[in-house]
Amino acid sequence: MEPRSHSFYRNSEKSLADTTLQAALSRTTGKFVYARAASVDAYPGFEDVRSEGARIKKETLDALDRHLARFLEEAEKRGAVVHVARDAAEARRIAADIARQEGVTLAVKSKSMVAEEVDLNPALEAAGVEVVESDLGEFIIQLAGEPPSHIIAPAVHKSREQISKLFEQKLSEPYTEEIPELVRMARKHLRAKFLAAGMGISGANFLCADTGSVVLVTNEGNGRMGTILPRVHLAVAGIEKVIPRLADLPIFLRLLPRSATGQAISTYVSILTGTKRQGDPEGPEKLHLLLVDNGRSGILQGKYREILKCIRCGACLNICPVYQSVGGHAYGWVYSGPIGAVLTPLLTGLPEGAPLPNASTLCGACAEVCPVKIPLPKLFLELRADERDQGLKNPAEVFGMKGYAAVMSRAGILEAMERILGVLSRLFFKEGRVTWLPLKLSGWTGKRDFPAPAPVPFRKLWKKHRGIRPWNR
Amino acid sequence: MEPVGNKEELIRRIAVALRGHEGAQAAAAPPPPAPAGIGTEADRISRFREQFESHGGNFLSASAWEVLLPALGEELRMAGVVALFFPDGDAEARRAAEALVPFGPFTLISPAEARQPVSPLTAGLQTAEFAIAETGSIVQTSRGGTSLLPGLLPDVHVALLSPAAFVDRMEECLAAFGQDPPRNISFLSGPSRTADVEQTLTIGAHGPKKTVAVLLP
Repeated sequence: MEPRSHSFYRNSEKSLADTTLQAALSRTTGKFVYARAASVDAYPGFEDVRSEGARIKKETLDALDRHLARFLEEAEKRGAVVHVARDAAEARRIAADIARQEGVTLAVKSKSMVAEEVDLNPALEAAGVEVVESDLGEFIIQLAGEPPSHIIAPAVHKSREQISKLFEQKLSEPYTEEIPELVRMARKHLRAKFLAAGMGISGANFLCADTGSVVLVTNEGNGRMGTILPRVHLAVAGIEKVIPRLADLPIFLRLLPRSATGQAISTYVSILTGTKRQGDPEGPEKLHLLLVDNGRSGILQGKYREILKCIRCGACLNICPVYQSVGGHAYGWVYSGPIGAVLTPLLTGLPEGAPLPNASTLCGACAEVCPVKIPLPKLFLELRADERDQGLKNPAEVFGMKGYAAVMSRAGILEAMERILGVLSRLFFKEGRVTWLPLKLSGWTGKRDFPAPAPVPFRKLWKKHRGIRPWNR
Repeated sequence: MEPVGNKEELIRRIAVALRGHEGAQAAAAPPPPAPAGIGTEADRISRFREQFESHGGNFLSASAWEVLLPALGEELRMAGVVALFFPDGDAEARRAAEALVPFGPFTLISPAEARQPVSPLTAGLQTAEFAIAETGSIVQTSRGGTSLLPGLLPDVHVALLSPAAFVDRMEECLAAFGQDPPRNISFLSGPSRTADVEQTLTIGAHGPKKTVAVLLP
């Protein structure tokens, strides 16, 4: 999809005014945050597992060349055909070629963020393949022609009424407001697709280097269907998905479901190694692995390497006060929330993603819930600094920040400013509220009143309370 | 088709990116310490049961087949099951399926029939390879040409568990495969579920709507 992250502020305005979205967001993020906290509380060893997960991911990235080479070797040894794509265009071309050469006309796809990132579906459709999204949320937004708005709950922004109307139009099903009915309709429709499809397309939650295995974690069972029933399996994965050993997997299976949905384990974990073997009654005869770089090796080089530790659980989205308010679409591209605020500028370039690292209060909640301890707020600050260095900041903002720094680092000037503002406050803001500020500052008053500076500054009150007088200081 | 894209170039590109950064040459760390065990076989089974039931699975155990069969038949009848199937070569599942026939309106169908887009309400029976106590997961694999259909397609999945199948944690299960895992290892933890419509938990998305773990007498 074409990124629209540069218009984050305009996108947000729209999201904030969308009442259906606002209701969905408060319901969803609240549930996820609560479920995650409860499951972490119920698992006393979580913090140790988290440290171990962060350590393994760091170990992997620090020697990614070695681990990836091992993965390629082991996967090929077991019958996989491995393709590597330098960028999105190459990934699309390779996938379309695979579909064409395998003679595929119908493919069932389970959720993959990287497939969204490289815009896989349109390329496959152009190659004459009907691509059916099989994750229920993805299926819904595919029918609606929209991008996902949450990493693990792509259709959070849709109400049951909207979904039923979609099913009425596109699947000729009768209108219903019963959720189990809607799920049953999708099951029936998709089951026929699973049984008829020539190819299953999946992402990968993990790639195990020592066995060449692809690991898929799902709740619905669509990932299993698409990798057992069709003749061909195409797995698309970013190069950072590698973990060194199959034996490391349990650590991540303890982290991912708890962080994502608050489950102790997701319903289905599939560990897929190679192709159908002699005597196997089912399973794919062909396994194509498409590993996508698309800017990741560049990220590896610099100070943003740690962002590649991400296991795409979505915990940082749910806990983020900005995401909770504006939702996923406002971020303008595939990845949203705090992880998107770092990944989008790095993958699409800073001018495009420039507003996103600023879409944070630096409250730090994202770093606190991250299962692999990515220091997200630190990365926001690094990106903001890069924006300044590249001249992407408004000169007025740079000037304002310099002034702010100058005042805040000098106690005397700060005190003088406080007193001046106190006097102004007494003269102009009798209600104790600022209701209007000019130009860029209007962000503080546009949607609410800004509290006026205190008529008597705290320091003055404090000195009075302690009995300190200027003359006996 | 032949592999596409220059793998050597990708590895080189990554190696160059890592050059000069700490850790690039770091030796492989030792494997993570093995987690503490859960205890005796009885502890493992009761932990499994607790976890499996928390996922919405049904757990059945009895001292003898004469008690177990009517109970299992009742479970399946209540779920509306009218057909049973088991994979070729699974003697235990075949015995259980055949013995179940008198306990409900059940007919035996073949795996191929169970694979039809429209099939009668079916239960798939299969002997499980492992049961993981920590996570309450049934483990089915393709090892030795084993079919994965009973836990995949039907409305009801019945997993037959021998007491020896229970392991403490995921680690012990994976260690059993060493460096040569079968084509497909599946952890199945309760019925298929989705919360994609209004974050409301709904059972039976694509896989079984009901899962029954049967501890063999």
